[in-house]
Amino acid sequence: MTDTPIISLSNVGKSFGSFQAVSAMSLELKEGEFFSLLGPSGCGKTTALRMIAGFQEPTQGRVEIDGRDMAGIPANRRPTNMVFQSYAIFPHRNVGDNVAYGLRSQKVPKPEIAARVAEALEMVELGGLERRGATELSGGQRQRVALARALVMRPRVLLLDEPLSALDKKLREQMQFEMRHLQRSLGITFVMVTHDQYEAMTMSDRIGVMFDGRLVQVDDPATLYARPCNSKVASFIGEMNFIPGEVTAESSGKLSVTAAGFGALAIPANPNVETPGKSAMLGIRPEQLEIAKAQPADYDATVRGTVSDVAFYGENVHYHVQVDGIDRPVAVSVPNYFHTVDYRQGDQVWLGLLGDSVIDLGQQDQ
Amino acid sequence: MRRPSGLTAYAFLYLAFLYLPVLFLPLFSFNSGTIVAFPIKGWTLDWYRQLGAQDTLIQALANSLMVGMVSALMSTAMGLFAARAYTRYRFQGSAASEGLVMLPLVVPGIIVASSMLVLFISLGLKPSLTAVILGHTFLALPFAVSILKSAFDDFDVSLEEAARDLGSGVIETFWRVTLPVIAPGIVASILVTFTVSFDEFVLAFFLSGNRPTLPVYIWSQIRFPAKLPNTLALGSLLLLASILLLVVAEYFRRRATKSRV
Repeated sequence: MTDTPIISLSNVGKSFGSFQAVSAMSLELKEGEFFSLLGPSGCGKTTALRMIAGFQEPTQGRVEIDGRDMAGIPANRRPTNMVFQSYAIFPHRNVGDNVAYGLRSQKVPKPEIAARVAEALEMVELGGLERRGATELSGGQRQRVALARALVMRPRVLLLDEPLSALDKKLREQMQFEMRHLQRSLGITFVMVTHDQYEAMTMSDRIGVMFDGRLVQVDDPATLYARPCNSKVASFIGEMNFIPGEVTAESSGKLSVTAAGFGALAIPANPNVETPGKSAMLGIRPEQLEIAKAQPADYDATVRGTVSDVAFYGENVHYHVQVDGIDRPVAVSVPNYFHTVDYRQGDQVWLGLLGDSVIDLGQQDQ
Repeated sequence: MRRPSGLTAYAFLYLAFLYLPVLFLPLFSFNSGTIVAFPIKGWTLDWYRQLGAQDTLIQALANSLMVGMVSALMSTAMGLFAARAYTRYRFQGSAASEGLVMLPLVVPGIIVASSMLVLFISLGLKPSLTAVILGHTFLALPFAVSILKSAFDDFDVSLEEAARDLGSGVIETFWRVTLPVIAPGIVASILVTFTVSFDEFVLAFFLSGNRPTLPVYIWSQIRFPAKLPNTLALGSLLLLASILLLVVAEYFRRRATKSRV
């Protein structure tokens, strides 16, 4: 691993006619990292990936791979390989021929092809299935063949376009771990496009969040979760209660705020917010709130409320609590410690909150 | 769900009206009498046996096979590019040009035939098998385009992108991925366009000059009552061949549609 970026996008944009799919995107990826582009559908993340792969030419800016300008270089001459959303397994070829396709194209000697194909299939746990027909594969197997077919080329960068979206939940979670392992052991840079925040968070070293063609925030999963740069990112990643507040004082990394319903609090300043201001949007994760029958001690702020809704998720329970002074019910998530659901609709409860867990989301934009 | 009564009977009558006359052709081809009328005198295969000895017939068959194969290959090759363009790209005039390609399906054959004759003669091309080939290619193109369009509709574009991504250039991608994947569609198109040409009469009659294709030859023989049973036998064979070809073509067309993994 070196410090020179393996991929560098500078001010890259792509427009289709009058539609701006990607605008002014700048990004540097380190060699050997697992990077995810996360965003809702139509946010431009796939277009960005396809510009790295060489399927689309940027209409402005510069794409560099390994220090080389990629302008005018087609996909077949780039040191990247891709796993397609549909997997694009060649239907007229068996598994072995699918994986060998690229090596044959490069005129690699036959014995070496056979050895590398076997090795690649072993890697994705499909060892010995060379002769299996492409149409006889299950969804998970096709995903593995697509992975082997790309990895056998020993690319500098592996591009993955929604690689797990076609799989069912159980298989998807298993593949998340397997791909993460594979990436670590190979040390190849992975760039994955996904709309699934959990997928992005469990697999990636860093995540880039995109909205409307713009790269809004790039950070590691924990920072993204704890210090999102605005309300939009905060609502896209995990669940969030949005509470309007007033900033009353500011000093060395701390903000004094008055939060609707909860009252006065001292909260940490968020270095990522784009536009700090007097009236700030405050974010509170549902799992950071305490819910109790009696007023809880040792919290910076407490407030009374009425349970308006209960949702049982299995591993945890979600309560919606109506609090005076806050328009929408506050969501509270409690781990299901003892297999009991403690509160019912209509119950009077107390909520407890620590100032350090409140997230400053900057100037209210809506 | 209850069907309105009588509808089934109507459907059967309709089909009988359409296809029963066609069945008389093979039926009378086995009749030992020379007059096409009931009652049937006796059964014979003589009319079929005599076919092989007729040199002009064999020559007409050879002409038809040649015209059919060349125009099938030409219309399928042209249809391949057209169908790919229609399914992959949005371009100005795409709908108009597709409408134009499909036009031979609705323009009366006699009008196409006479205008082609005028056009070819004014270009200095005398009525000949070459003229028939050109005419049949034009006539078969809409069939080729619609069959190949459905093959490309089911073709996942990322297959070609995957080939590019794995190092293939444009031409290698076409030979190693596009062509093999849509091959069943191409076979179906060749068989159907061949059948279109093989059975076609009006254009061939206008354009073939002194080298008749099989349908034109059959027409010329119908004028001689003594030759009629031979013609019926020949017609029956053509009917059988056409049905076989279309069944095989349909098989390949369905395979092409299913090729998507």
